[in-house]
Amino acid sequence: MGASVAASLLAACGGQANPANIADIVYWYGLDDGSHRAYMQAHDVDAFNKANPNIDVQISFKPEADVDRLIQIALSSGKGPDIVPTPGPSYALQYINSNLFLDLDAYAQQYDWKSKVSGWALDAGRVHNKLYSLPGSYPTLIIYYNKTLFAQKGWTVPTNRQEFESLAAEAMGQGIMPFMAGNADSRGSSEWYTTMFFNHYAGPQAVYQALTGEIPWTDPVFVDAIALLLSYFQKGWFGGGVKQYFTNTFNALDAEFAKGKAAMDVEGSWAFSNWPSYFGPNNSGMDYDWFPIPPLRTGVPQNLYTLGIGYTLSVKASSKVADASAKYLNWLYSTPQRAAQELADINFPPPPIPLNPVDFPSNVDPRVKRHYLALDQASSQGTFGYTTWTFWPPRSDVIAYDSLDKVLSGDLTPAQFCAQMNDTFKQELAQGVVPPIPKGQF
Amino acid sequence: MSANQITRRFSSSNGEGFFSEPPARGNTRRRSRRKKYQLLAWVFMLPFFLVNVLVVLGPSLSTFYYSFTDWSGVGAAHFIGLANFQRLFQDTDFHLAVLYNLIWVAMFLTVPIALGLLGSFLLSQIKRFQLLFRAIYFIPYILASVVNAAIWQQLLDPQQGLASVLDRFNVHILDNVYFLGDKNLALASVAFVDNWHFWGFLVVIFLAAMQSIDTELYNAAMVDGAGRWRQFYHITLPGIRSVLGLALLLVTVWSLLVFEYPFIMTQGGPAGATQVMTLLLYKDAFALNEPGYAAAMGLCVSLLATIVALIFVFLRRKGWER
Repeated sequence: MGASVAASLLAACGGQANPANIADIVYWYGLDDGSHRAYMQAHDVDAFNKANPNIDVQISFKPEADVDRLIQIALSSGKGPDIVPTPGPSYALQYINSNLFLDLDAYAQQYDWKSKVSGWALDAGRVHNKLYSLPGSYPTLIIYYNKTLFAQKGWTVPTNRQEFESLAAEAMGQGIMPFMAGNADSRGSSEWYTTMFFNHYAGPQAVYQALTGEIPWTDPVFVDAIALLLSYFQKGWFGGGVKQYFTNTFNALDAEFAKGKAAMDVEGSWAFSNWPSYFGPNNSGMDYDWFPIPPLRTGVPQNLYTLGIGYTLSVKASSKVADASAKYLNWLYSTPQRAAQELADINFPPPPIPLNPVDFPSNVDPRVKRHYLALDQASSQGTFGYTTWTFWPPRSDVIAYDSLDKVLSGDLTPAQFCAQMNDTFKQELAQGVVPPIPKGQF
Repeated sequence: MSANQITRRFSSSNGEGFFSEPPARGNTRRRSRRKKYQLLAWVFMLPFFLVNVLVVLGPSLSTFYYSFTDWSGVGAAHFIGLANFQRLFQDTDFHLAVLYNLIWVAMFLTVPIALGLLGSFLLSQIKRFQLLFRAIYFIPYILASVVNAAIWQQLLDPQQGLASVLDRFNVHILDNVYFLGDKNLALASVAFVDNWHFWGFLVVIFLAAMQSIDTELYNAAMVDGAGRWRQFYHITLPGIRSVLGLALLLVTVWSLLVFEYPFIMTQGGPAGATQVMTLLLYKDAFALNEPGYAAAMGLCVSLLATIVALIFVFLRRKGWER
C-alpha cells in the first residue's frame, strides 16, 4: 500500500512513463464551470487518449483564480504539471528565464507548427530565438452593440471618429449609456481602454515602435490618446461617469446592455459567452451584434484588431514525457474542426490556427464565426494591434490599468501617465522581460 | 538561606516533616517529580512548538531572507543588500499605503472603541434582554467577511442600494453618492463596514470586563451623588483598563495588517484610494512577480506592528494598566 501511495504521489508530482509503457501526462488547467470541465475532458482529453493508446493525458482542473499561483509554487519547488498553462507570453518569461520550460523548436520542426499556428502567435512564444510557449487562445477587443436598440433608434455602426462621437453624444442625450463600462469587479479591466486608445488612436505602428524601444511612450501621440480617453470618460460616455465607472459591476452592466439602457460595450472576444444569458427571446427579447473598433485618428487603419493571447501552453523542462506532451500539443493545433466545434458548443475560444468557413459546425453562432474569420484574416494580413495584457511586460501592464484609474480620478495627467509608463517600460526593456513583438503590415 | 533550611522550613510548614520520609530523600523525590512535570510540560508543548516553527518561524525567517533578494517567485534569488528597502523609501505607492493604514488605525482607535465602550456600558445597565442585544451585536462578527462585504456592497450601490430605496420615497440625498467609487469616500466607507462587523466584538469583551467590577463601588458612588458619566469615568474606565489596553493594542496591530475588507470590496481602488500596505504587498508579490520586494514591505509592516506592541509593553511596565 505504501508503494502505491508513493507511486500516486510521484505521479501527482509529474508525468511518468509507467510500467505498461503508457506515458502519463499531467496537465493542469484553470477552469471553474463544471459543465465546461466535463466538455473539455471529453473533447480535449478523452478523444486524444482514445486515439493514442500509449499516451494518457490526465487533466487536473484548478480554480481559475488560483491556478497561476499553484503552478508558480509547484514549478519553483521542482514539481508541477508536464503541460503548463500561463496567462500569456510576458508571464511565461519568468519561467523561461529560470530554465523551467523546454525549448520546443525541435518539436516545432518535427510537427511543422509553422504551417499550423499563426505566425505572429508562434513568434510571441519565442525568447532568445527559441520557442518556449504556444498560444492557447487569441482574444481581441471589439465593440458589441445592442442591435435591436440601434434599429429602434435608426443608428448605424460608426466607421470613424466623427460618427463614433456623434453616436455617443446622441445616445447620451437620450439618457442611454453609450458604452457600458465598469471595473468594480476587476480593476484590471481598465487596460481594455488603454489598449483601445493606444491602438486605435495612436495606431499600431506607433505602439510597435514603442514596444520595441524605437520611440518613447511619452510621444505626444500616446499622450493625446490618453487625453482623448479621459475626455470621453469625463463626458460620461463610458459607464456613466468616472465615479460610476468605479462602482459598476459586470452583471448589472450586462443586464442594462441587454435591456437597451446601454448601447455598446468595448470588450474582448470572451464576452460572446456572456450574451446568450442576457439577450434573445428567452431573456431581454433584444438582439446583439458586434463591429470592429473604428479608427479614432486619420491614418489609423480600418478593420484593425488588437491581438492578444489568452493563455499559453508550455512543457516543463524536467518533464519525463516531453515527446508525448509535444504530440498532444500538436494534436490540439492540428484539429481545427475540434476547436471550432468547441467554440460552437461552449464558446471556448479557439487557438490561433487558420480556420476556414468549412471548419465551423452548423450550430455555431454566425456572429461568432464572422468574428473569428475576420480575426484570422487580420492576423494573416498583418492588420493587427497589440493588447496590453499580452505584449506589455508585467509592471508596465499594471500601469496600463492601475495608473489609468489615477488618470480617470484626476490624480495623474495623461502626460504623467505616459511618463510613468515610459520609465517602467524602459527598465523592463533593459531587463529583457518584454515579450517578442510581432510586426504587422503598417 | 541555605537549601537545607528551605527544605526544613518547607517540610515543617506543611506538616509533613515528622511523619514522612527523611527530608533529604523527600526533597530529591519532589525535585525529580518536578523535573518530570517540567519534562511532561515540554512534551505537551512540543507539537505546538514544532507547528509554530513550521508555520510561523520558518516563513518569517524566509521572508527576512527574501527581503534582501531580488527573488521573482521562481528560480534563484540574488542577494541585493538593502536595495529593496531603499526602493521602499522612494516608492510613493508605499508611502500612500502607509498613510491609508495610519488613517485606518486612527479610525479604528476611535469609532469602534467609543462605540464598544458606549454599547457595553449601556448594556451593563440593563438586565432584561441583555443576552439578546449581546447576540445581535456579536452576529456580524461571526459572519464571513465575504458575506458582510457583499451585503454592504449591495447597500452602498448607488443604483440598487439604499439610494434607490430612498428614491422611492422621494428622498434624493444619496443620489450620485458613490461610496465605493469616490476616492474621497472609499476608504472611510470600507472602514465603516469593517467597523460595523467588528464593534460587537469589543462590546462583548468590554462588557465581560465591566461585569467583573465590584458593584459596591457603583453603589458607593451613587450614595455620593455621582451621575452615570462620573461613574463611567471614575469606576468603569479604571476597572476595565487592562482589557481596554489589550483592545487598543489588538486594534492597532490588526489595523496595520488589514486586508480582507479592502480586498473584497474595492480591490484597493478606486484609483488606489483604499490600497493599504497588505494590498500593495499582495499586488507586488503576485501581480508584479516581485516577492523579494514584497517581503521587504512585509518586514516593514511587521516592524511597525512590533513598535506598537513595544510601546504597549513599555506603558504596561510603567503601570499604565494599574
